[in-house]
Amino acid sequence: MTIADVVKILDGKLMAGDGTSPRVVGAVVANDLMSDVLLYDADDILLLTSLASDQAIRTAHIVGAMGVVVHNAKPLSETMLKVANDLGIPLVSSPLSKYDACVRLHDAFLAEERA
Amino acid sequence: MTAEEICEKVGGEMAVAAEGAAAGSVYVGDLLSDVMGHAGEDCALVTIQNHLNTIAVCTLVGCAVVVICHSRPVPPDMADGARREGVAIVVTPMSQYEAALALSALPPSKH
Amino acid sequence: MGDEYNPTILQGQHTNDDEILAKTPLDEKALGGDSSVIIMELLQRFKVRDVMKRQVLCISRRATLREAQALMRENRISGLPVSENGRLYGIVSVNDIIKGLDGGWMNDVCEDHMATNLVVLEAGMPLAFALRYFNNYTYGRFPVLDSNRQLVGIISQRDVMRALLYELSVEIRKLERKTRQMQPQEEKKEEHYFRKEWAVVRNDLSRAGHAANDIKGILRERKIDRTVVRRVAVAAYELEINICIHSHGGVMVLLITDDDVTVTAKDRGPGIPDIEWACRDGTSTANDWIRSLGFGAGMGLSNSKRVSDKFDIQSEVGKFTKVQCVFSIPKKEE
Repeated sequence: MTIADVVKILDGKLMAGDGTSPRVVGAVVANDLMSDVLLYDADDILLLTSLASDQAIRTAHIVGAMGVVVHNAKPLSETMLKVANDLGIPLVSSPLSKYDACVRLHDAFLAEERA
Repeated sequence: MTAEEICEKVGGEMAVAAEGAAAGSVYVGDLLSDVMGHAGEDCALVTIQNHLNTIAVCTLVGCAVVVICHSRPVPPDMADGARREGVAIVVTPMSQYEAALALSALPPSKH
Repeated sequence: MGDEYNPTILQGQHTNDDEILAKTPLDEKALGGDSSVIIMELLQRFKVRDVMKRQVLCISRRATLREAQALMRENRISGLPVSENGRLYGIVSVNDIIKGLDGGWMNDVCEDHMATNLVVLEAGMPLAFALRYFNNYTYGRFPVLDSNRQLVGIISQRDVMRALLYELSVEIRKLERKTRQMQPQEEKKEEHYFRKEWAVVRNDLSRAGHAANDIKGILRERKIDRTVVRRVAVAAYELEINICIHSHGGVMVLLITDDDVTVTAKDRGPGIPDIEWACRDGTSTANDWIRSLGFGAGMGLSNSKRVSDKFDIQSEVGKFTKVQCVFSIPKKEE
């Protein structure tokens, strides 16, 4: 599942970063507390969060995440988009809630496995 | 879904039981301002915020079941608050993502 | 510079004596006259609407001063516009609250005690005007109206400073890059160590984390083992956030030698009374404001301790806190 797939599954829109990145999701983390995100020891994390701030992007960069999704169609500031572009983190805006997104991504993983 | 059923689904422990506590939908959120803005009535709140303020927010949005992830400890003032307000607290070792999947029989919370 | 804007003063029924009128005419005093072209250009290019806060917390005319006080306290603001359906009627300031507490009229409605002589800005005005207003009046913030006289935002000196500093740093970085290109390439000397430091500003969450992001980039460039890079980055980020939200400001220092990487975070106080308690998982002195921003879960120090090979913390109440994390670099197997 690439960031382009994530955009489709979550009815999202790519707001910053490279939408054609070949990196695939290695793990999903749904979290708004950045200190907690830093605890996850996984590669290619897809971060689902409601924290629409630069810190979400900076944290994603620190843990080497492959992308960030911001939920509930929260407005994203110009600086957040800039930080995402500067640090090369694909940033997706989705109208879904985090819970909804978790369930949909999981269904898509299952479908991927079956295929 | 009753608090007891939720507790079982997430493989958790009932830190604070509340009579009749149940949920018909789910919201996942750690930012209390976000929860306040988006979580609907009757939802189970999946969060990492082991803090008294979480209970305050629950009473505001009308949520009767809180699921605390990553086995974070429930501080005494939070437990007291939950008892007073009739909010059940379930503590699970799962992450928010895993807990969400475990509860996926329930619909997303509508605000 | 087009001077077609004049200060707008909404005249209310009664005048307040604490209202300060423009003593200086609209001149260049705000910036000392001969400012750099870049700054002047920024001040013209940026409009009030680019910098103002769009979410304005308001209160209605019939609300009591006590309710206003509660709102101001909860949201940590010092002035509250009194507005209904986008129309601005006045402002309740900390001053009005203090007077109310003093005089015992906290249960009166805001309408009776708010300031009604308001100086407002328009969303389309260049930032230069906002700066002059702050210079000419003593108000800490101005409400912003759109062309239909609807309240659309609020702007404080802090908002202006932040926007300017950010844009200035972008411009200066461009200049630095240019001068570096102009200088003859200095051959990279083989050094036995690398050292760099970053200043961390109190409460500036928009910048907090950039030192950690830089540190990660530097370590990666040096092809240091990626699990080490990640651990260093996590510790650096937590420490940087700590300085930002808990201290009066401080500095992050990165030191790389052949054998190890050291990240030192030192701040100017207020210090930690009980270090053991502070290092425990889940303990926090963070306030609701910090929590609402996604921090303050009480994991910062314990997180950085967990990832470090050596961890040291010293603190003196009222003076400083210094945290040092050391990471050994595994020898590369050729």
